[in-house]
Amino acid sequence: MMQFTDWDILRNLLLAARWTLLLSLIAFIGGTLFGLLLTFMRTSRRKPLVLLVRGYTELFQGTPLLMQLFLAFFGLSLLGIDVSAWTAATLALVLFSSAFLCDIWSGCIESLPKGQWEASRCLGLSFFQTMRYVILPQALRVAIAPTVGFSVQVVKGTALTSIIGFVELTKAGTMLNNATFQPFKVFALVALIYFMICYPLSLFSQFLERKLNVSGKH
Amino acid sequence: MSLVSIENVHKYYGSHHVLKGIELKIAAGEVISIIGRSGSGKSTLLRCINGLEKFDDGAIIVDRQAVSDDENHLRELSRSVGMVFQNFNLFPHMTVAENVMLAPRLVLKKSRSECRELADNMLAKVGLADKADQFPGNLSGGQQQRVAIARSLAMNPKVLLCDEITSALDPELVGEVLKVLEQLKAEGMTLILVTHEMNFARDVGDRIVFMHQGKVWESGPSRELFSKPQTPELQSFISAVL
Repeated sequence: MMQFTDWDILRNLLLAARWTLLLSLIAFIGGTLFGLLLTFMRTSRRKPLVLLVRGYTELFQGTPLLMQLFLAFFGLSLLGIDVSAWTAATLALVLFSSAFLCDIWSGCIESLPKGQWEASRCLGLSFFQTMRYVILPQALRVAIAPTVGFSVQVVKGTALTSIIGFVELTKAGTMLNNATFQPFKVFALVALIYFMICYPLSLFSQFLERKLNVSGKH
Repeated sequence: MSLVSIENVHKYYGSHHVLKGIELKIAAGEVISIIGRSGSGKSTLLRCINGLEKFDDGAIIVDRQAVSDDENHLRELSRSVGMVFQNFNLFPHMTVAENVMLAPRLVLKKSRSECRELADNMLAKVGLADKADQFPGNLSGGQQQRVAIARSLAMNPKVLLCDEITSALDPELVGEVLKVLEQLKAEGMTLILVTHEMNFARDVGDRIVFMHQGKVWESGPSRELFSKPQTPELQSFISAVL
């Protein structure tokens, strides 16, 4: 039987943490792109689009991420589409992130005075011109801090993908525990690594909030 | 031939009948003041003229084009109708010059240097040439409102709608904005004002429209209307505000 030194445990966890980081990054970038599209749809004032997006965000916010992962993993295979744990995890996390980001950003856009839209419209700007030059630059300032804050949720959300067999930090922790029978040590290290990823993000979010709030008041 | 022609316009908010068959014709170069108590429908009427509000019946014709709620048509309309708001609605993240340049650049597709020249001219016209590179937040209310006027003028509109544009200003700043309007009138601009500035309406406006309960209750040349109001509603309104 192989013996695991403390260094072996830590090394393996750190190696697995790369996948946590990568999955978080993909979920966040994918969620950003798709979430941006949803935000545009929701802001467009076209009734069917608005309702569609509202249904979408309600669905993903109203069900546990774990169920979404199960549905992506087992549901798609039921339909005859063979998905790897990696694909299912990515898909579920991207959809989950996009729903929350869309909600955050729509809120930021709606918090701007309606007069900004009216003035743009009176000047003859199109919807996209208004978004690009008037609304988004202002909404961005409000949105950055909560967006970075949400990235912490994404990182922690990746832990759930261990259940469908994706080997990231949490799954590696479970496996190492099975081999070493030292649950406290292993999971304390796992938690510590999560903390080291998330804490700087939280600090960054708080920093942005302070900074943008001060200069945001004209 | 009138520049703006409002024919039997009705508007409802749910079951509330806000505009009850408005008839109004405005010639080019005229300065019209719309007065009346709050809730009389005057701002709603103004917002119907440039399509910010839809109306349910009747027709509004601006510069020979009928106002409809087609999005492309409304953008076309925005070239002939400018609007200035009570709360200025300047873009706070852009400098004063950028505020003025934005629409000419995006909508009229003028070059950057052309737009800058246009912005400088418009700002000089409202007496703010030296503020071009400031942000709106650093200006007084009166200055911000003058920037908003310059921003509208940059699109070279045929008619300028002013929705209570002095109501959010400190009393000592009202004069500088009204002076700009007087100057525009002298240049032949058509102005439609919803206003509480009765002295201005009387002395500078050509015609006054008194709205009451969603109708044009009484209208006529400014001085006459003030000196000889016909209806008891206008009499009581005038005695209340003057």
